[in-house]
Amino acid sequence: MSTIIETSGLYKIYKDQASEIHAVDGVNLRISQGEFTAIVGPSGSGKTTLLNLIGGLDSPTSGSIHIDGSDISRLSPKELVDFRLHHIGFIFQSYNLIPVLTAKENVSFVMDLQGRRSREAGQRSLELLEAVGLGDRADSRPAKLSGGQQQRVAVARALASKPRFILADEPTANLDSKSAANLLDMMEKLNEQEQITFLFSTHDPRIMAKARRIITLEDGRIVGDILK
Amino acid sequence: MKTMLISLAWKNIWRNKLRSGMILGAIAIGLFAGTFMTAFLSGWIEHSVISDIQNQLAYIQVHDPGFAANNDIKACFLQDEAMVAKIASAGEVAAVSYRLRLNAMLASAAAAVGVSVKGVDVAAEKAVFTLHETIPDSCGAFLPDEGRMQIVISRKTAEKLKVRLRSKLVLTFQDTGGEMQSLAFRVGGIFKTANAAFDEGTVFVRKSDIFAYTGLPEGAVHEAALMTGGFETCRTASERLQSLLPGLDVQTWDQVQPELGLMLSWIGLMNGFILAIFLLALSFGIVNTMLMAVLERTHELGMLACIGMSKRRIFRMIMLETVFLTGVGSLLGIAAGLSVVGLTARSGIDLTFLIEDQFEDYGFASVVYPVMRAGTFMQIVALVALAGLLSAIYPARKALKLEPLEAIRN
Ligand SMILES: Nc1ncnc2c1ncn2[C@@H]1O[C@H](COP(=O)(O)OP(=O)(O)OP(=O)(O)O)[C@@H](O)[C@H]1O
Ligand SMILES: [Mg+2]
Repeated sequence: MSTIIETSGLYKIYKDQASEIHAVDGVNLRISQGEFTAIVGPSGSGKTTLLNLIGGLDSPTSGSIHIDGSDISRLSPKELVDFRLHHIGFIFQSYNLIPVLTAKENVSFVMDLQGRRSREAGQRSLELLEAVGLGDRADSRPAKLSGGQQQRVAVARALASKPRFILADEPTANLDSKSAANLLDMMEKLNEQEQITFLFSTHDPRIMAKARRIITLEDGRIVGDILK
Repeated sequence: MKTMLISLAWKNIWRNKLRSGMILGAIAIGLFAGTFMTAFLSGWIEHSVISDIQNQLAYIQVHDPGFAANNDIKACFLQDEAMVAKIASAGEVAAVSYRLRLNAMLASAAAAVGVSVKGVDVAAEKAVFTLHETIPDSCGAFLPDEGRMQIVISRKTAEKLKVRLRSKLVLTFQDTGGEMQSLAFRVGGIFKTANAAFDEGTVFVRKSDIFAYTGLPEGAVHEAALMTGGFETCRTASERLQSLLPGLDVQTWDQVQPELGLMLSWIGLMNGFILAIFLLALSFGIVNTMLMAVLERTHELGMLACIGMSKRRIFRMIMLETVFLTGVGSLLGIAAGLSVVGLTARSGIDLTFLIEDQFEDYGFASVVYPVMRAGTFMQIVALVALAGLLSAIYPARKALKLEPLEAIRN
């Protein structure tokens, strides 16, 4: 399988008056096409920081991040926005959706940003909502959807831009365990059937258990990398 | 993408219906008031100016250069064929009244006042001016009979001199030779315009009744008053006439009474100024509303930036929201203002119930006919657009300054 993400010598250091926090402390990581990988570790171990670096939301103190062979740490902020729009799908813990838009409009919004034709975008949004099991809720606004359903719409939205991979920082943190398991099952299915690459972080051992590769962080360093 | 942004911005406005509704209402009320007030004031002033022109000024006046300086009785010119032909050839002149102008004392048994006498040909005077229409039926008429030594005075003058219709008055003036001439008249008509200063100082007699006593050469007059199409045409006609009559002073109404012209320009300026203050106050409300809208959406705007919405687009979205808010409010307000102007423009708004005729002492009518000219309307629209854009910038910049990562952190 081809490599999508490759970080080498990646550091993110926050400086206080007195101390330095090595949020990411020399991470060398390679993620291949079609992986379904969890990043785990105690609170403050650097999961969010690492995902933000990989997602081009934050810039490293040193080191490089290659996505499909190109070094995104060299991109300007403007170029990064464009890069994120076209190459990476994001799922956040919460507030993923625009409250005034329906589920379908939320999904097609990214495609609108990409400048795709609206008819094509509408069609694809419906298909994606179907795929995440919300075909019948296409016209509902987020407020009418449960937390789990909202996260499913977020997955559909993340897929809409046809990204190279999907980053999800604790996508289940605000869900009850049943919805969390459902969401993970759905992501897993997409991974298996469509070869969508997922990289997500979690605290939850049951969610962890569904991953096929588990990378453990501690104090910003990779201390475990298990392939199941 | 454009339509998406527009529809999103539109939907965003209605997130907080109460808040948006309140600012929308404020804008609408402000602009209703602004539009109507502008039309009201312009209408009031313009109408006063126009009635002055129609009652006494005419659009163009022609004098001997010495006349304007000191009302010298000898500063006359001849109303001969050449003169008549020249005035006719200036074009756009609908009617001409040649008048004598004398400074005189007017005395009754009770009192005496200084007046400016206008010696007129009745038919010509009626063709140029509408003053005769201000004489009520019960107060006589505008010099109907020839050779009867009648005088038309204002109600003010009548009150001062304690005289009534058909009372006897004595008019005393100096002729060209410096001799005092006293003539007896009877009050033939009593007029009343909305301009108290004019009313107090002006009387009318027939030119033929006094001409013989002035000592002026045959055919001499002091003034030609010309009626033209309106504000615009009088300027070109005046310039043309001046070149035809190099020895005389040709003046437009606002050169004769600069304060009237000034008043018109002032009211335009005042209107703009007041409107600008209105809009400035509204802008604070708009900026405040939009800032709240941006700040309470920090999280969402951060999320949008993270998934790839460029700063430019976020900026544009917030700008659009402000512009929509301002635009819709203004549209409603201006439309309401214009409808009320439309409803009252013909019938006028009678202020006598409020202020009686107090303002007439200063030359303003008690009935106001609001007008909205295209130029004024454009001025309002331009000011609104400017205010909308200016108040859009700050909230949109605020949205730009959000750091996406900070914004999405809980
Ligand atoms: N902007 C920042 N400024 C200073 N320190 C920061 C900043 N962001 C993160 N850190 C620090 O970097 C370290 C790693 O934080 P990070 O949020 O990546 O951990 P995490 O593994 O995601 O934790 P959690 O499981 O609680 O989400 C922490 O010690 C945190 O305090
Ligand atoms: Mg975290």
